[in-house]
Amino acid sequence: MKKRFKKLLTPIFSFVLGLNFLTSLTASAGEPYDVYNYDRWGEAIPSQAGYIADRAVSGYDLGAGAFDNPNDIFYDHNDIFYIADTNNNRIVAVNSDFDEVVEIYDRFKMPDGSETTLKKPMGIFVSAENDYMYIADNENSRVLISDRDGNVISEITKPVSEVYDQKRTFLPQRVIADKAGNVYVVLNNITTDAAMFNPQGEFTGFYGANRVQPTAEIIGNYFTNLFISEEKKARRARNIPTGITSFDIDGDFIFTCTQSSTQTTDTVKKLNAAGNNIFANMDLSFGDYTPMYDTSQNKVLQPAICDIDIAEDGNINVLDFTTGRIFQYDEDCNLLFITGTIAKQVGGFDHVAALESKGENLYVVDSSKDTVTVFTETDFGKIVHKATRLHNDGYYEEALEPWYEVLKRDGNYRRAYIGVASALLRKGDYEGSMKYSELADSSRIYNKAFEGYRMNYLKKNFGFIALIVIVLSAVFVFVSKKLRKRRLAIEKAKQEEQDQLAILDRQIRILEEASVFVRGGQNDNDENEKEEKWI
Amino acid sequence: MMDLKPAEWVRHAVCHPVEGFEDMRWKKSGSVRTAFLIVFLLFVAQVANGRLYGFQFGVTYDKTFNIIPYIVQSIILFAAWVVGNWSVCTLLDGEGTMKNICIYSAYALVPYIVQVFVNLILSHILVRDEAVFIQAISIIGTGWTAILLFSAIKSVHQYSFGKTVFAIILTIVAMFIMLFLLVLFMSLVQQVYIFISTIYTEISYRIRV
Repeated sequence: MKKRFKKLLTPIFSFVLGLNFLTSLTASAGEPYDVYNYDRWGEAIPSQAGYIADRAVSGYDLGAGAFDNPNDIFYDHNDIFYIADTNNNRIVAVNSDFDEVVEIYDRFKMPDGSETTLKKPMGIFVSAENDYMYIADNENSRVLISDRDGNVISEITKPVSEVYDQKRTFLPQRVIADKAGNVYVVLNNITTDAAMFNPQGEFTGFYGANRVQPTAEIIGNYFTNLFISEEKKARRARNIPTGITSFDIDGDFIFTCTQSSTQTTDTVKKLNAAGNNIFANMDLSFGDYTPMYDTSQNKVLQPAICDIDIAEDGNINVLDFTTGRIFQYDEDCNLLFITGTIAKQVGGFDHVAALESKGENLYVVDSSKDTVTVFTETDFGKIVHKATRLHNDGYYEEALEPWYEVLKRDGNYRRAYIGVASALLRKGDYEGSMKYSELADSSRIYNKAFEGYRMNYLKKNFGFIALIVIVLSAVFVFVSKKLRKRRLAIEKAKQEEQDQLAILDRQIRILEEASVFVRGGQNDNDENEKEEKWI
Repeated sequence: MMDLKPAEWVRHAVCHPVEGFEDMRWKKSGSVRTAFLIVFLLFVAQVANGRLYGFQFGVTYDKTFNIIPYIVQSIILFAAWVVGNWSVCTLLDGEGTMKNICIYSAYALVPYIVQVFVNLILSHILVRDEAVFIQAISIIGTGWTAILLFSAIKSVHQYSFGKTVFAIILTIVAMFIMLFLLVLFMSLVQQVYIFISTIYTEISYRIRV
């Protein structure tokens, strides 16, 4: 019997083990890196992937010849991708499935009929308002505005203005245009940030400068500058913030990012029309919390955000040059997913340059591999995005189901615990909310849930609590009275004892006196002393 | 007059900030055992304060639990105070012995410990909007302990007001010096340890070859 059982057990075990092995293989086959996320304490913990690399597309795959150092990608309102193929001096337009070239722009017709070519185009933008292409034509020192047939409408060149230092060159890197037709240009060598042009192409000023990071050295310099002479001051190094690297426009807001290995303030900004940074005082951090340590170079690598993209649903994608990672945040800057790495495989990068999103896909341009990597959303990513969208729109209760689903798939996902806690709080399930806010390490939600819980508890148990209070106070009064009585009794007993002793003493004295009287002769002094003692 | 048990002495000392310790000195009372018990309770209070506080007032980092900081915050701190005060006040004509300083200082800690425990319970009843009660209790408890500590030092050494202030400042300086020496000593020991372990490794490699 036992033997047969054993015989039966072995194949079952081996089957289960084999199954286990298989599943673990398929699970780890996805990415050439460990997917992680951050917990409340800023420590990296394993997580589920929100995006998975689908394929890497080169110029050959599209039938346009190899890309050479592509630097920008843009997805327009007509479902067409534009890639700024910098060293090939062309703009490549690709269809929305990203498998076929629609058009290659390398020659443009000027308004006077002559032809013009591009020279190292670094940035491309297509406006949804007027259907114009804006090309940052870097080495030609101009921004080319053209329609989609290649007819140049106008060009923006180095502004002649007192504000613009004429000694500086005009090397456009990125360009965008807002709804009103104002053009913003990121320049290579300007730290006062994006040059702004009105729809007529006239220079109107600079937009959205970064702040100087208040390091100890800069604060020290400030105090030194108070005391030294003007000549000396002019010769000293000035404190200048790093200029912005790239930007994206989303409705009325312009999001900028700054690639710097030293600066940590203003690496990502959300600017309104007046140029004020909405993220300025929100104490946000973008990229990895703990800088990556590279053992092969013995160097600590600070995150350097080199491109930013705002997805249609408002999520903020930022691209970290140092680690080759895409960090996705929701519109309130909560970290959703971390994707990508530095590697040779698909899904890994060498020199990331630009990032664009289309629906559930992410497109990352690598200027060294000369490819565009397409990432698609996983099922997990889909659920998280759905839940986040509902949550951020205030539909907490509707978001409850997707959040539970997220937790089923990844118990480490902190946002899900916050989502569930908020939803349960809204529903009035205070106890559940307390449980989940504790799991989310969110004392703010716990506080609210506890307040409701306490209120309910008091309402439900008021009679009982009142009874306990009354009984306790009654017992207290009773016991204290008893104790007092006992103490009084003890004191009384003591008093009586002393009284009796006194009586006894007096009797002894009388007896002694009697004996003295019998014997005769006893001096008065002695007697007096004894009398004093009794008193 | 004043034939009190140790527990009653604690109550007397705590409830009479001006005269209590003088009375204790006059009656030569106070027990080391009670003092140690109070310091142990301080340790328990610190741990409880760190680990069991109401969740609505902040999140405890509960991935790891390290007992050393709590020991340093309570027992080591108290020991440093006693030793520092003793070494300063021996030079300043203080009359207190180490034992008495220890006892009196420990008795003075009682309001602080009570405050911690009361707040611990309140933190599970109140919400953030009502945190002012917790703050008030905390200020009262800590302030009371400060006054008692002052009074304790004043009576144990039979000092005047000004001299007590001076002695307390010097005690704090002495505590810092002790800390400094401790750190110095630790790093020295570490250096020696590294030196010896390096030599050991080197020799063990030679022997093997």
